[in-house]
Amino acid sequence: MTNVLLVDMEKCTSCKQCTLACSLIKEELFDPHRGRIKILKKEDIALGVQLLCEQCDAHPCIDACPSGALSRDEITGVISVNLDTCTESGSCVEACPYHGIILHPVTNKPLICDLCGGDPYCAKHCVSGALVWTSGDDELVKTKKKLRSARMAMYRDVKKGVAK
Amino acid sequence: MYGHQGKILHVNLKTGKIWNEDLHEEWRKLYVGSRGINAKLLWDYCKDSDITWDDPRNIIIYGPGALTGTTAPASGRTSVTTVGCTTGLYLKSNTGGHWGAELRFAGYDNMVVHDEADEPSYIYIEDDHVEIKDAKDLWGKDIIETDTMLKKLYGNESKGLYIGPAGEKLVRGSSIHCSLYHAAGRGGAAAVMGKKNLKAISVKGSKPIRVKDPKKFGEVAEEMRELLRADSGAQGLHEFGTAGSIAAVNELHAFPGKNWQTGYTDNVHPISGQALNEKGYLKRRVACFGCTIGCHRYSVIEKGPNAGIASGGPEYETFGALGNGPGIIDTEGVLRLNELCNRIGLDTITAGTVVQWAIESYQRGVLTKEDTDGLDLDWGKIEETYKAVEKMALRDGKLGNLLADGLKIATKKVGQDSYKWAIINAKGLEQSNVETRSAKSYALAFAVNPRGNDHLMTETFAEFGASPEAIDVIEKVTGDKKWASPHYTDYRAEIVRWHEDCYEITEALGFCVFTSTAAYGVNPDNMARLYEAATGITMTEDELMFSGRRVVTLEKAFNVTRGATREHDNLPWRLMNEGAKSGPLKGAMNSQDELDGMLDRYYTLHDWDLKSSWPTRQTYEKLGMKDVADYLETNGGLP
Repeated sequence: MTNVLLVDMEKCTSCKQCTLACSLIKEELFDPHRGRIKILKKEDIALGVQLLCEQCDAHPCIDACPSGALSRDEITGVISVNLDTCTESGSCVEACPYHGIILHPVTNKPLICDLCGGDPYCAKHCVSGALVWTSGDDELVKTKKKLRSARMAMYRDVKKGVAK
Repeated sequence: MYGHQGKILHVNLKTGKIWNEDLHEEWRKLYVGSRGINAKLLWDYCKDSDITWDDPRNIIIYGPGALTGTTAPASGRTSVTTVGCTTGLYLKSNTGGHWGAELRFAGYDNMVVHDEADEPSYIYIEDDHVEIKDAKDLWGKDIIETDTMLKKLYGNESKGLYIGPAGEKLVRGSSIHCSLYHAAGRGGAAAVMGKKNLKAISVKGSKPIRVKDPKKFGEVAEEMRELLRADSGAQGLHEFGTAGSIAAVNELHAFPGKNWQTGYTDNVHPISGQALNEKGYLKRRVACFGCTIGCHRYSVIEKGPNAGIASGGPEYETFGALGNGPGIIDTEGVLRLNELCNRIGLDTITAGTVVQWAIESYQRGVLTKEDTDGLDLDWGKIEETYKAVEKMALRDGKLGNLLADGLKIATKKVGQDSYKWAIINAKGLEQSNVETRSAKSYALAFAVNPRGNDHLMTETFAEFGASPEAIDVIEKVTGDKKWASPHYTDYRAEIVRWHEDCYEITEALGFCVFTSTAAYGVNPDNMARLYEAATGITMTEDELMFSGRRVVTLEKAFNVTRGATREHDNLPWRLMNEGAKSGPLKGAMNSQDELDGMLDRYYTLHDWDLKSSWPTRQTYEKLGMKDVADYLETNGGLP
């Protein structure tokens, strides 16, 4: 049994507590541009779509990196960045199918969710229950993937301008 | 600088001059932020009573909280301060949304707009880049169209603060819309923007906010967050929105209907937060920036003849003012009226109160069909109400022009006894939907409110004793739990005074007042600790509350310069002279005698003069505002 982070768009109120909490714990300041979790917000339809690293099985970011700076923990799926070898190419950002990676506005290095080493700080801040860190079986992993598919479908709709 | 960003942005629309002022270090302790610093700026620039709302010398100030942009729960709010057009007095209006946080990320704690542009303009801010732009293509556009056009130019991440056609046409009930469905609605600050030819302020920021002690900050914010998570009031707000309380208010016979002629409505369910959920209109629950409650709604009509109507809300006040008030006990009817107001930029409270007055005036024959441009006004008529609101927002026709100036002016124009059913007090703002006849702290708080009678300068919900936390507040303030009952007149002055201070510091820090005076998770003690963790400035709970007192007194002083006296601290004629229609407090009213008793105690507690209601020199000096006393002395403003 491992824990999974359930990320439910339907419960997201777009408050951005998660993003701020992330920037606080990781950078000791508040900056929505420095959160490993981001909210794609669409004000006219009051929508918020959470975007973050999904620790996915395919992890194309690793292959996309020209300098081999990314590695993956086989147990947790967490992607780590070797800051010394990273050349700030942004290839991982492009490669991520879940739009979960952004570059740090100052250092230009990728910001990738590491689940805070197994105790995600953001989830504690999500009172509406859109982020839930819970122990999971296979069923829960399926739920996680279903929630993710819904978010990605909405992401595409937002980009196409047809989201509602 | 920690906590604050350290800069006040000034823009002069006439000369095009744009400059930054360093945030004065001492202001961080004296006025803290947002509403407090706004009040100080308004005093400094506009204390001269010749400066009316439409004078180019009037300024409009936007102030996010000192903690806005952080994980302090529900701290994303912004105060807008100016000389108000509805009352001619001090106006602070407060809005949620995400704009204020963005202004802070652009590097500013407050923003001041001076003078008037010659042509329609808007301001674009991207960090240090600030520009006054031509708004001729935006002028005349509604709130949604304006947002679409500016987002196209500056991206989805940009945040906007807009006025609609109502603000452009200087309608006194017009509202400033903030990141779309949130509004600084009360008192007509949008008309001040309209007078200045200022359509919008679009902002994008990339500057982080740093706090002095990130670890401590995280801990205190967590304490607040967990208290709010456990609070039943906060839970109810998330589940059903502000309109979730309507059934309970109705059961108290305190839900104003038909221009405050009724307090109880049979089958009130269609106009409630519960109905939005059950009938599938609720599309999403929405939060302001950094808010863990998320009381805001996004509601959509998906099928039927009204399909496609979608907007933020409706809130309790909208279901009251545009639902129960005009007798529209119809979910979609209110959704349509709400959408209209949000699109056109009109305060739903004022819109509803004004239209109810028009309906009653028409019923009484004081307004004729000629006055209403042929509208056959009556309770429960959705189309007629819709047209009347639209006319008001656009100053269309005889009726539109009459209503657009609000009830203070309309009752003078119409004359006869029409003031008797105008739900405004002597200051002139249309009252929000709180039944003050059966809630005496509210009555007193409404009467002394510097911007007119509503619940948004001080909230005294605790007097209902609806939760253990509320009862604790009453015990703390009065010394006895038994005073947690709204029909007493004893100790109401004490309750109001405490809540005035608490409400002020809540807003100064950017918190939503629901966190400290309606639900309970944020309080003067943890606010002081969080402010210290953010800024490094040590203030005790009492010192922080004292800063609230200073600001409340400065706001009062501003009204003294405009000649407001004890006579202005009253309630609408109907509420002072006609008893509540039904319910446990049938016959209750806010008589002058009763109000006088509470006012005497209130002024005494404040060290204000009983006759004029004005603060004394000694009072100002105790609060460190000798300069205010000096100014008032030379201008006949001391008792």
